[in-house]
Amino acid sequence: MPENQIELIAHLARRAGFGATREELEEYAGIGYEATVDKLLDTSTPQWMSEYLIRRYHPDESSMLAGLSGLEAWLYRMITTDTPLLEKMTLFWHGIFATGYPKVLNAKPLSDQIRMFKKYAMGDFRNLLVEMAKDPAMIIWLDNQQNHKDSINENFGRELLELFSMGVGNYTEDDVKECARAFTGWTIGNCEYMELRSARDSDWPYGRISWHYEFDANDHDDGEKEFLGRKGTFNGEDIVKIICEQEAAARFIARHLYHFFVADEPPVPQWPYQPPRDPEAIDQIVQAYFDNKYDIRSVMKFVFNSDFFKSEDCWYEKVKSPAELVTGVMRLTESVDRPQYEHSSRQLRMQYMGQTLSNPPSVEGWDGGTTWIDTGALVERMNFASEELGRVETPGSNELFNKIAFEGDGDIDADRIVDICLKHLGTIDVKDDTRSKLVNYVSKNGVIKVEDQGIDEIGKEKIAGVVKLIASTPEFQRA
Amino acid sequence: MATKGLEQGQSLRYVRTVGMTTMRGRGFYYPIDSAMSNSGRLYVLSRSFERAVSDSMRVTMLNEDGEYFGVFGSAGIGDGQFRWPCGIAINDQNRVFVTDEYLNRVSVFNESGEFIKHWGSEGEIEGMFHGPSGIVFDQDNNVLIADSRNHRIQKFTSDGEFLQSFGEYGNGDGCLNLPWGLGVDQQGEIFVADWGNDRIQRFTPNGEFVAKYGSPGRQEGELMKPAGVIVNQEGYIYVADWGNERVQVFGPDGEFVQKIRGQATNSEWAEDFLEVNVEEAGARERANLEPDIDYFNDDPHEESSHIEKLFWGPVSLMLDSESRLFITETNRHRIQVYERDN
Repeated sequence: MPENQIELIAHLARRAGFGATREELEEYAGIGYEATVDKLLDTSTPQWMSEYLIRRYHPDESSMLAGLSGLEAWLYRMITTDTPLLEKMTLFWHGIFATGYPKVLNAKPLSDQIRMFKKYAMGDFRNLLVEMAKDPAMIIWLDNQQNHKDSINENFGRELLELFSMGVGNYTEDDVKECARAFTGWTIGNCEYMELRSARDSDWPYGRISWHYEFDANDHDDGEKEFLGRKGTFNGEDIVKIICEQEAAARFIARHLYHFFVADEPPVPQWPYQPPRDPEAIDQIVQAYFDNKYDIRSVMKFVFNSDFFKSEDCWYEKVKSPAELVTGVMRLTESVDRPQYEHSSRQLRMQYMGQTLSNPPSVEGWDGGTTWIDTGALVERMNFASEELGRVETPGSNELFNKIAFEGDGDIDADRIVDICLKHLGTIDVKDDTRSKLVNYVSKNGVIKVEDQGIDEIGKEKIAGVVKLIASTPEFQRA
Repeated sequence: MATKGLEQGQSLRYVRTVGMTTMRGRGFYYPIDSAMSNSGRLYVLSRSFERAVSDSMRVTMLNEDGEYFGVFGSAGIGDGQFRWPCGIAINDQNRVFVTDEYLNRVSVFNESGEFIKHWGSEGEIEGMFHGPSGIVFDQDNNVLIADSRNHRIQKFTSDGEFLQSFGEYGNGDGCLNLPWGLGVDQQGEIFVADWGNDRIQRFTPNGEFVAKYGSPGRQEGELMKPAGVIVNQEGYIYVADWGNERVQVFGPDGEFVQKIRGQATNSEWAEDFLEVNVEEAGARERANLEPDIDYFNDDPHEESSHIEKLFWGPVSLMLDSESRLFITETNRHRIQVYERDN
């Protein structure tokens, strides 16, 4: 099996998932690149750690009194899922429709929103936008419960156009007002009580109560509106349809997809002033969006099979987000097969790296790219990856030791050990200079011997040392 | 509430709700099990969670009327502390035993909550634990513990001396999958909430398989991840059908007779809270707490998250001296009390 084929699939696995083990990559290579894309796109029967198990051992991931428990449950799903692309798409939409705990102050609706993203992430973009507009956490986040027939609140309408679908410069202030009118009456049930509980962060007397969407027909403005050049008695669904037909919406989503899956773009606020890194690729994604009638799964199929995605020019051109890094590392350890007391510390480590899911820095979400890297965050990223991957007792480490032991009795060549470790960690292609330093490290630490098809504890620690170093390389920290 | 084939006096009728959510002190925080002393004092074990304040992980002492006697225990690994507390039981000397499925030990307290000792360690050999959860005393004052992740039940003396174990991983008769709650009937037979196998299993006092009840599902008589089981004097089997967010009653031979979904009202402590938080009480009064909702899915967990009066995480069952049933709900931080409809 050609190594370059596996390397290409490793690139796909890093972008469409959280990386993959060597065994998974070889399995993918066995069916070929395009079939692998299809396999990753098939998210019809996702499996992950049993929800019942999570609820049993972590009750707060079941009812969520605390703000971060929902994301801990999500982290379990990301680490253990057999459909990683679905989780990546969910992360993608969460980054765009960024909704945060400090204002919502009820973790269950936020967790429900993530669940909604997962359901609609890869379908018709129009459905996703409508569901997003009906989402209780989003309604509270952008004050749509205060958007009344006789007194509109523009917040949701404005962000729908600016941050969620088209970007500034593609609509007028009048469009914002008309858009807001169309979404009047889109609120949550028991609004007064739920808002008050939220404002007081009240979980009394019996814990949190989930929120539900409610349409208040009496508070809905069903008069005629003029929106993006069209006239009619538009409601929210009509507005979404009109938005999705706009080239600006296609271009906006295309650039987001490119930014998240292909190569880092500048932060969104700079988009009106800075052209895309690859305008031709954006044009192609726009075309795929219209050709496939807004079906996101089909657009993703186009992206992953495109030349611009496969090009080596974009390999390792993305900095992994903390969520991607933590998930990818834990998947490689293969150690999360059941609920663990230590799990909550992993999301804390993610926070220290600069990302708290369901708590974005602003409504614009996370900028991503090199903004993930500052001195403190980089040290945290390297420490986390090294600590977790350097544990000799994990199933992932044992697999690595077995692979090295399989080389046969005697001293193992340093170059060969580095090669096996790089492949084991997802077929990482490091620069020649980095590679030679890794080889030097192995050589300096003395030979690693295989005796009776096994490696002794000292040998395992030496190998773990190599793994820790690889986890700190720019190539491992990137996707 | 559905009933079928009930003998007179066996139907359950709602009485009251006890407790409320508080992170510290008077109240519960993810209660996971309860026990009652000879004097009628309730001991409610709050599981809390990993990141919560240390003293939220505790045992709250109260009586059914809401009289509060204090708390003991906290999060940590020292004497009298917990990490993943899971089960609580009281022996005939009014000593309080608490299992910890992370620390793999049983902590023992006196009835005032003063720490006495702990015993147990992690391992797979007999007498050791891997995730001790449900705990109950038998008629000989020996203690039975569901050693969950070892998929077996172990019996010890009150002093922690190992006596016997039974069960192994699997789904055949007598095999177990992450067992949780335990009950003992008048004849000393042992009932196990075989959580991972969605069934209740019945064993002789010596651990020989007798019968199994329930199968996976959401219909009457079916079970989804049962967490607790208890048997009344007439042999009726009450099951905390945790994954179905309900309690089911089975007859002495395992036939389905009743299911309840919960009908909580304000407890004494909840009333106290609402009395001094007038604004919140007013908004609550004006709210429709039983709205008609199109749920995201058909998992009753979803419905229970929206409708406050329903069971949400019914995890453990206890009978008092009057055969009233106390149902501890983890996610709603309370206990619903039912009595027999005489």
